[in-house]
Amino acid sequence: MIIEIGHFSVVIALVLSVFGIVSSFIAVQTRNVDWVRVGRISLTLIFILLSIGMASLIYSFLVRDFSVHYVAATSNSQLPLFYTVAAVWGGHEGSLLLWVFILSAFSTIAVWLHWRTQPAIMPYLIGTECLLILGFLLLIVFLSSPFERLIPTPADGKDLNPLLQDPAMVMHPPMLYMGYVGFSIPFSFAMAALFSGRLGEEWIKVTQRWTIFAWMCLTTGILMGGYWAYYELGWGGYWGWDPVENASFMPWLVGTAFLHSVMVQEKRKMFKVWNLFLIIVTFSLSLIGTFLVRSGVLTSVHTFATDPERGLYILIFVATVIGIAFGTLILRANKLKSQVEMDSMVSRESIFLFNNLFFLVAAATVFLGTLYPLMIETWQGAKVTVGPPYYNTVFMPIALGLLFLMGVGPYIPWRKASQASLKKNFVVPLAIGFVSTILLFALGIHSIFALAGTFVVGFSGANILIDFGKISLLYSRRESVNLLKGSLLAFTSNQRRYAGMITHVGVLVLVIGIIASTVYQTEKVVSLRVGDEFVIDDYRMKLERIHEVRGKNWSAQEGVFKVYEGDTLLTTLRPQKRVYDASQTPTTESAIYAKNMGHIFLTMPDVSPDGVAVARGVINPLILWVWGGGGIMGLGVLLNIFRPRKRDE
Amino acid sequence: MPHLLTLMILLCFVFPSGVWAETVDETEIDEKVREIAKILRCTVCQTENIWESGAPLAHQMREAVRERVIKGQSAEDILAYFHSRYGDYIMMEPPKHGFNWLIWLAPFLLLLGGGALLLKEIKGWVTRTPAPPTETPPPLDEESRRRIEQELQP
Amino acid sequence: MTRTTQITILAVLLGLLTLFYQGLWGDPRHIPPVLVGTQAPIFEGPDVESGKPLSSKQFKGKVILVNFWASWCQECKVEHHNLLRLYDEFKDNPEFVMLGINYQDEVPLARAYLKQYGSSFPHVRDIKGALAIDFGVYGVPETFVIDKEGVIRHKWIGPIVGDVYTNLTKNILTPLLNGSNPAI
Repeated sequence: MIIEIGHFSVVIALVLSVFGIVSSFIAVQTRNVDWVRVGRISLTLIFILLSIGMASLIYSFLVRDFSVHYVAATSNSQLPLFYTVAAVWGGHEGSLLLWVFILSAFSTIAVWLHWRTQPAIMPYLIGTECLLILGFLLLIVFLSSPFERLIPTPADGKDLNPLLQDPAMVMHPPMLYMGYVGFSIPFSFAMAALFSGRLGEEWIKVTQRWTIFAWMCLTTGILMGGYWAYYELGWGGYWGWDPVENASFMPWLVGTAFLHSVMVQEKRKMFKVWNLFLIIVTFSLSLIGTFLVRSGVLTSVHTFATDPERGLYILIFVATVIGIAFGTLILRANKLKSQVEMDSMVSRESIFLFNNLFFLVAAATVFLGTLYPLMIETWQGAKVTVGPPYYNTVFMPIALGLLFLMGVGPYIPWRKASQASLKKNFVVPLAIGFVSTILLFALGIHSIFALAGTFVVGFSGANILIDFGKISLLYSRRESVNLLKGSLLAFTSNQRRYAGMITHVGVLVLVIGIIASTVYQTEKVVSLRVGDEFVIDDYRMKLERIHEVRGKNWSAQEGVFKVYEGDTLLTTLRPQKRVYDASQTPTTESAIYAKNMGHIFLTMPDVSPDGVAVARGVINPLILWVWGGGGIMGLGVLLNIFRPRKRDE
Repeated sequence: MPHLLTLMILLCFVFPSGVWAETVDETEIDEKVREIAKILRCTVCQTENIWESGAPLAHQMREAVRERVIKGQSAEDILAYFHSRYGDYIMMEPPKHGFNWLIWLAPFLLLLGGGALLLKEIKGWVTRTPAPPTETPPPLDEESRRRIEQELQP
Repeated sequence: MTRTTQITILAVLLGLLTLFYQGLWGDPRHIPPVLVGTQAPIFEGPDVESGKPLSSKQFKGKVILVNFWASWCQECKVEHHNLLRLYDEFKDNPEFVMLGINYQDEVPLARAYLKQYGSSFPHVRDIKGALAIDFGVYGVPETFVIDKEGVIRHKWIGPIVGDVYTNLTKNILTPLLNGSNPAI
């Protein structure tokens, strides 16, 4: 009964989304505010109805109502409560419902939040959001409904994919969707600007916080996915350049370009069309990513049961949205003759442009790499793999270029940089970059990747530190306070800038983590019996015993390894080889010990019946910097979002 | 001799830990297998190499690689064998020949082409922009100049 | 925005749309495998049911149909009655040989499977999956046809059902057995 209420609510929401589109259309035609109000009410009701839909699905999961097909397919009675909630978005149908639910929540918030300040934009905003909601609801109601009943009712459900039974996977999809969907707000404002012809800087100023919020969610989602892959997949890596990962990385790259490029428009009122283009591309890539992941075009050979109908529908929907967006942009762009004024080749404006170029090329590379196998398959009838070795090779120079620009951009003045100021600003950082590279080389590090990385990180890091040091000193002198207070004053004097710099520092930390943990990773796989030990790096791992362990819905063979450094016992690691009851799927659970900001990572992929265990030890130096860097980036973004409002905003 | 071996095996069961413990290590063969396995794709997985994949097929492929390494085949021979069975698909990166050059060069071509285009555009904008007023402002002392510059930075 | 930019954007979008559309209908099973047209690998192993050694060498000069299967494979169950039917159709032809290759399986399970679903032609055990790799197999079921010269002439990924069966028997096996070149 409960699930029917949910189903019914979602159907009503679908009808209301049509209503919302129609009412905003009439509102535009008649310029009657009442119709905009009707649109606002529809949108709010959609949000409430979808909340009911979501709640009814969660409820069905919690009471384990296996007469609901989706519940039976992605959970069973032994599934722990925590993961039961995660199972709601553990499958195709539920994740689509989550998508549209977040979409309705964000658009309702946006409409109420900006209602007073942006009255002229409202009908367009409501119309665009309702169109997006309609597209997803049609898919949910007609082609992949999580509300369908299963007759006869099975005694127990199947299981949530054991790999997804993990804390990071509980939050990963919602974060990612909040990122994708968050970009729909600036996208809708951009569309509203295009439709209404109010193409000033307003939409950018209004959506600045939305953009950065969406960016933060997407970043967090991606990093969480990486963290999950790191300890759940058991090979000690966090990024596999998998099509699904790429699908989330592409909107991130273009979104980041957009994030930077809007600053030029705010400051210099230039590149209006360009920014519209960027946000449209960002959101289009979110939708295309959904298409790629959900339609099965990119899955591997042995997925026999692909459903081309569903894929075709998603394609039509995505093509419609993208078509409308680019179509309007092309038709309206000529009205947007923004005066481009550039005083000099060397200025912050031009650095921003190169930043955009690098980000777009990076996105195009990922895009091409992801789609290349599909292209070869459909046009040449052959199969080819584009895997991590390819990306690592071509991505490195692009990423290094971006990091270098990151060190230049914020420290070069708008309009024109004089030769003297260039010299004054960049000689010392360049020197620091060089010196640290030479130092590392002297210490015996000869990987080009690591050395080039050190140079750009040293250069960019020095820039950030020197700049902030200078201004802190200035403030502490002017207000005659100590340096710490001075730096606080300096920070709050221009919180948006310095919060951004914190994010940049986070990026540098992340990059150091990535370089160290990829270039200097040590790995060893050995077969050993109880009592044997093996040495990896400076550590000695001794297999004490192997025993059976039992969890709520799994049983495992657990290897107990004592880890020694020299003769001192560091820790005991307990990697497991698990088998989940319901699906009988085996998984390898890694055991991790953190030391010197790095990880000792241990898995036990196999135990033979005669007691020979296969153990895989990985030493990942500085890997904590990867997640730590992500945390610092997030902190920077939060400080940006929650900065005190300035008068001109 | 065979008796001694039997005894040792038996002892292993009697004293399962400690007594006959030994330090095990990767052999040269293990390292070679890993090197090769990281280049080959697990054909039933989503872009995973056979080294990292837990799929049964990947396991068998690793074993096949090991057998060939033990037989003394070179890495090239082994890769060529797998390539002859599965085609380009088995390699983790597109082999650098023919049409595949497109994907290898595209990022750099885009970067160079885009960069050239951008430079040209910027140059155009710079020449079209009217020159700023040329009167020289009165000279500032270093301290206040720096302060102004810092304050102006957003 | 210049005309060129507009046209570029539209061209890129249209190209993507076509690609995605074709990708949706593209059947991954139609990929021409690299092995077709090359000499078939020699394969040998114990018979699943009797345990006696079997080798492809003893069938030299005949048309061999090779089918990879496993007891845990759902798609194999779907095609199994068709395999039996196919063998019945051609078994009287002295030039025809049909062999199953049991892949990634355990003997008792495989034997039980054959008992349950029926067995008429011999099955070779692929102990380490080495045969499957020799044949470039992705998974089961997969079916190969080897001609009298020992050249692989046809490969099919997926179950032999419906049109696939008709195509396999009429357009490939019959002409090969008659000594004429099939239009593949």
